Amino acid sequence: MIELEQITKQYPGQAMPAVDKLFLSIPKGEICVLVGPSGCGKSTILRMINRMIEPTSGIVKINGEDVTRTDPDQLRMGIGYVIQQIGLLPHRTIAENIAIVPRLYKWPKEKIRKRVDELIVMMGLDLEKTRGKYPAQLSGGQMQRVGVARAMAVDPPIMLMDEPFGAVDPIARTHLQDELLRLQKEIKKTIVFVTHDINEAIKMGDRIAIFDAGKLVQFGTPEEILTNPINEFVEDFIGRDRVVKKLNLYLAEDAMQPIGCVVKGNELHTAAQKMKDAGAEVAFLLNEEGKACGQITVSDTEEFGRDIEGLRKRVLRTEKAFVQTTTPFPDALSLLLEYDTDYLGILKGEELCGMLSFKGIRKHVYRKEGE
Amino acid sequence: MKWENFRFALFEKAPEALWEHSLIVVITITLAILISVPLGIFLSRPKFKKFGLVTLNILNLLQAVPGIAVIALALPILGLGMKPAIVALLFQSLLPIVRNTIAGLLGVSSDVKEAASGMGMSQRRILLEVELPLAVPIILSGIRTATVYVVSIGTLASLIGAGGLGNLIMGGLALFRPEYLLVGAGLGALMAIFLDRMINYLEHRITPPGMGAE
Repeated sequence: MIELEQITKQYPGQAMPAVDKLFLSIPKGEICVLVGPSGCGKSTILRMINRMIEPTSGIVKINGEDVTRTDPDQLRMGIGYVIQQIGLLPHRTIAENIAIVPRLYKWPKEKIRKRVDELIVMMGLDLEKTRGKYPAQLSGGQMQRVGVARAMAVDPPIMLMDEPFGAVDPIARTHLQDELLRLQKEIKKTIVFVTHDINEAIKMGDRIAIFDAGKLVQFGTPEEILTNPINEFVEDFIGRDRVVKKLNLYLAEDAMQPIGCVVKGNELHTAAQKMKDAGAEVAFLLNEEGKACGQITVSDTEEFGRDIEGLRKRVLRTEKAFVQTTTPFPDALSLLLEYDTDYLGILKGEELCGMLSFKGIRKHVYRKEGE
Repeated sequence: MKWENFRFALFEKAPEALWEHSLIVVITITLAILISVPLGIFLSRPKFKKFGLVTLNILNLLQAVPGIAVIALALPILGLGMKPAIVALLFQSLLPIVRNTIAGLLGVSSDVKEAASGMGMSQRRILLEVELPLAVPIILSGIRTATVYVVSIGTLASLIGAGGLGNLIMGGLALFRPEYLLVGAGLGALMAIFLDRMINYLEHRITPPGMGAE
């Protein structure tokens, strides 16, 4: 756990303090995102945790211990540090770059080699091709992977990341974000993550701290902040589309409803009756292998009547109108709009396990909004 | 021009002159490196940066004094022989090395230094393992400039009895023997070119691949 107690940083020659009497407590094992417009002091706060900057007053505590009690170099060796500019040593190979902190800890050579290989593979880089290369021979996205690997080399419990993905192209950025989130599920580090991008903050953060002019404006989970922005500044900062942004926080399974009715491929003519009996507005069609392959609505059955082949064609139009349990709401909404339908089947792997409706999404978001 | 004189200059006189000249150059440059590189490191540290400009200006002034004047001034103060010649030449060879050491060290990307320090490398380690290796090509380029300079100005050292290729040139002038002149000047030029290429080669050899120097 990282605690900042009444931290103030006043740079000489500046009227306003960069950070003003800040209290912040960052829980263990979570990603805490510091976000705000440029110049709000978020990077300064991050850099005070590993003493790259010393606060003018106040105390930074890690696991209850004042960081100024530890020698700065020792302190930094035990904290992963990733910066936007990456800062790989250009005259060292990738393997040597990753080995820097293990070498500072004087690990035996064999242990270092093993760990370096493990990290290169973990970051999704080609082991044989990457190890001996120099940083300039890699792409920006690959370099930042190495930057993250280097910071994790000795498995530090805390990682500080200062706009780590700010300089890579959008596609690589999305990949890096997804991978960090995937990794975090296993490694459960305490990560302090600085960004100016609210979307990145919502995506990455277990908790978000929003700063303005050196002051903490709001601190809470993404959901809390998007639901109850504390003032106009936060409202503006997170954007007028905050409810749309909130959709990113939910997965299809969150608003899953049970399936009312399924129809087998050779029983399509019974669909209307079955749905009536079940009182369902929609039924899903299963093929011979029991795989869901489309949906039938009441209005479809009314429109086609006894024209079973016409109905079958209509049903197969929605062959791909399915989402996985882990599909986020925005992707599901996009499919709903694309197929001009009110329902989507939810699959767990290949198996149909529920359905998602426009109404269900609305209710789910509204319920959260009302809380 | 007589072949006989030419042969005599080349085979009888030149070996000793060349040896003396090499000695002057090697000693001067070694001393210059030993003084300039630490001085450059010192002046590039954040705490002492303010002295950098003053020192460079002083060295610039020393550099601006013509070589022959330095040699001439060294005579009454330091006397005759190789030692005063080396001291005089030293003054002239410090600037390029100090200047390039500072430029090389300050040219190391601040991102790299920030990352190194953020990982817990001590300032000493950063200097030895990050800054100096990255600055070495530029420092060597300064050493190359200084070396070529010392080879050429070194011919004047014979005026105060230091010997070297200057003996052949001065002797040729005094005795009206163009062959001596030719051999002295020619060997001096060859030596300068040889050392220049050699250090240049070194620069390329130690620039790590992928650093995009070329």
